[in-house]
Amino acid sequence: MPISVVVLVKPVVDPKAVVKFRPDGTIDRSAVKLVVNPYDKYAIEAAVQLKEKLGGRVVGVAMAPPHAADSLREALAMGVDEFILLSDPKLAGSDTLATSYALSAVVRKVWQKLGGLDLVLCGIESSDSNTGHIGPEVGEWLDIPSVSYVDSILEVRDGAALVKRLIEGGYALMKVKLPAVLSVAGTSYQPRIPTLREVLAARRKQITVWSTADVGIDPSLVGLAGSPTRVVRMWRVEIKRRGKIFSDSDVDKVLEKFFEELRRDGVSLGA
Amino acid sequence: MPVDFEITKEQEDLKATVREFAEKYIAPRAVEFDEKQAVPPEVIREMSRLGLFGVVYPEEYGGLGLDPVTAGLILEEIVRADLTFSLAVAYLVPASWGYVAYKYGSEEFRDDVIRKAAGGDLWVGIATTEPGAGSDLAGISTTARRDGDGYVVTGEKAYISGVREAREKGVWFELGGGHVTLTYTDKSKLHRGMTLFFIPLTDPKISVRLEKEFGRKGWSYGSFVLDSVRVPEKYRIGEEGRGFYIAMEGFDHARAYIALACAVGGKRAIELAADYIKQRRAFGEPIATFQGVQFQLADNWARLEAAHSLAYRALWALKMEQEGKLGRFEVTKIAASAKLFAVQAAKAAIDDALRWFGAYGYTEENLVALAMKAVKSYDWAEGSLDIMRLIVAREVLGREYVARRR
Repeated sequence: MPISVVVLVKPVVDPKAVVKFRPDGTIDRSAVKLVVNPYDKYAIEAAVQLKEKLGGRVVGVAMAPPHAADSLREALAMGVDEFILLSDPKLAGSDTLATSYALSAVVRKVWQKLGGLDLVLCGIESSDSNTGHIGPEVGEWLDIPSVSYVDSILEVRDGAALVKRLIEGGYALMKVKLPAVLSVAGTSYQPRIPTLREVLAARRKQITVWSTADVGIDPSLVGLAGSPTRVVRMWRVEIKRRGKIFSDSDVDKVLEKFFEELRRDGVSLGA
Repeated sequence: MPVDFEITKEQEDLKATVREFAEKYIAPRAVEFDEKQAVPPEVIREMSRLGLFGVVYPEEYGGLGLDPVTAGLILEEIVRADLTFSLAVAYLVPASWGYVAYKYGSEEFRDDVIRKAAGGDLWVGIATTEPGAGSDLAGISTTARRDGDGYVVTGEKAYISGVREAREKGVWFELGGGHVTLTYTDKSKLHRGMTLFFIPLTDPKISVRLEKEFGRKGWSYGSFVLDSVRVPEKYRIGEEGRGFYIAMEGFDHARAYIALACAVGGKRAIELAADYIKQRRAFGEPIATFQGVQFQLADNWARLEAAHSLAYRALWALKMEQEGKLGRFEVTKIAASAKLFAVQAAKAAIDDALRWFGAYGYTEENLVALAMKAVKSYDWAEGSLDIMRLIVAREVLGREYVARRR
């Protein structure tokens, strides 16, 4: 049974790049290269693997300024068939609530266009804001189930998916009705490095830019106006903690030194 | 002549992909290439999967149809990750000699061999040198004699890269590989009597011997003996008597890539050494503070920048030649100049960089030390530096000033 998958991708500031800050503490995004959020690559890999196994189509959905289109080529090279880039100045300043609303509007339209939808996949969080909100929120807006921290998708059959979800100390097997949103944790799906042929072919794949009007987004629900979150102040976190290495060929002596250090710092070690 | 160093979006994408691959699969293991005297086969398999052995061949033969400049941009990432230059050899030899074999090979040969080379199933090497002839190529004694619908080749080739990787099927390459081999079909005509053949080293009639190479140890180096080995006519590269001239073209490609590898390898060595001298303190300061070191660094860097630009000019010249906009001899002059300059620039830079490490750097685990051994090979590999000087002088002065054979 061919499968229809939407994968949500966030273009982020290259985590390897040296970031410049504006005087007000915000990041100067104009100066840096955008890349696919590293966490999303696991979701992309999962989507492409499902397509390879079952056949079907993977549509990427992103929300970013138009110049972010270049960063989506990497996802296209990995096997995403096409991208919808939601791009509109009205979206500037959107928090996760507004963003998930806007993304869900795009997903709904893609769903209509494809004539059906099985899965919406996304990363568990983004490398630049790390909230982990988007997946579950998109599920709420679309009124479909969502599962977070999905380690692997074991089976997609008869309108349901069997997934392995990471929980503290182990995992849970869950059966979820389709369509559903799954946020994929980076454990079972090592992102592939595309072949050079796929890299070149990605330049010929379609990236369609939609505005908020194209998808019927209510402008009052996006941007700063639609975002209950207020950024009051930004500052650089300085990490003053320093690691310390205790070494000795005798493990007991290492532990002794370690506990001694903790006691000196006033840490209560219990009985 | 327009000068433009800007790279296209496609080139940027290719470079980023190869960098990601090189950082993940190559860089962490480069020291191991030399130590174990082999590149782990899975690294080569992965390079094949990516398409790295097919970049220069046309798409109709399973390649990517990329020009030499783009092939160079990819080479940069390979060299940066592997200063032993083992993979530089693995990549640039087929990019040069496979390309020339494709260009002059018959349609049957392209279908049979080039398609497999482009898919990364077979490696293409080069064999011109013999125990008794290197710079003086007319001194070779390997002969190919016509025999029915093919040729019978007899002779010995020595100091040849990739003999083990080409010999052993199913290890590095599914089908092993072979070498573009220079022979005489008519010794009385000297240079005009030479002919090239593609000779698969998997032929059990060929005996192969390995040498213990001084550097670049990850890619094998050795000799092979051809004792009346039959080669089908379709494996002849170009017409009889054209071998020397076609080989000169292959050398131009290899020299341009080598110049680039040296420039980039030299820069990488300086970068690694720079990281070290910023940490290492002497007389109360990081040694990077000492102007004696800074001046060396700057002089080397400036030479490497020049070498880097010249290497791209050579690759660009090859591209212009492919487009019919630049003549053979002009290309040869630029490629020889590039190799002549870049090898020396890299050697000097790596020598200084290694000195800054002090005793700490004098180990086989220091990539800069491994780079020094590797770059040394380009004193002669694919044409000695003195031969480069003769070529440049010949092209500048004119052929009437070429010293005659005695």
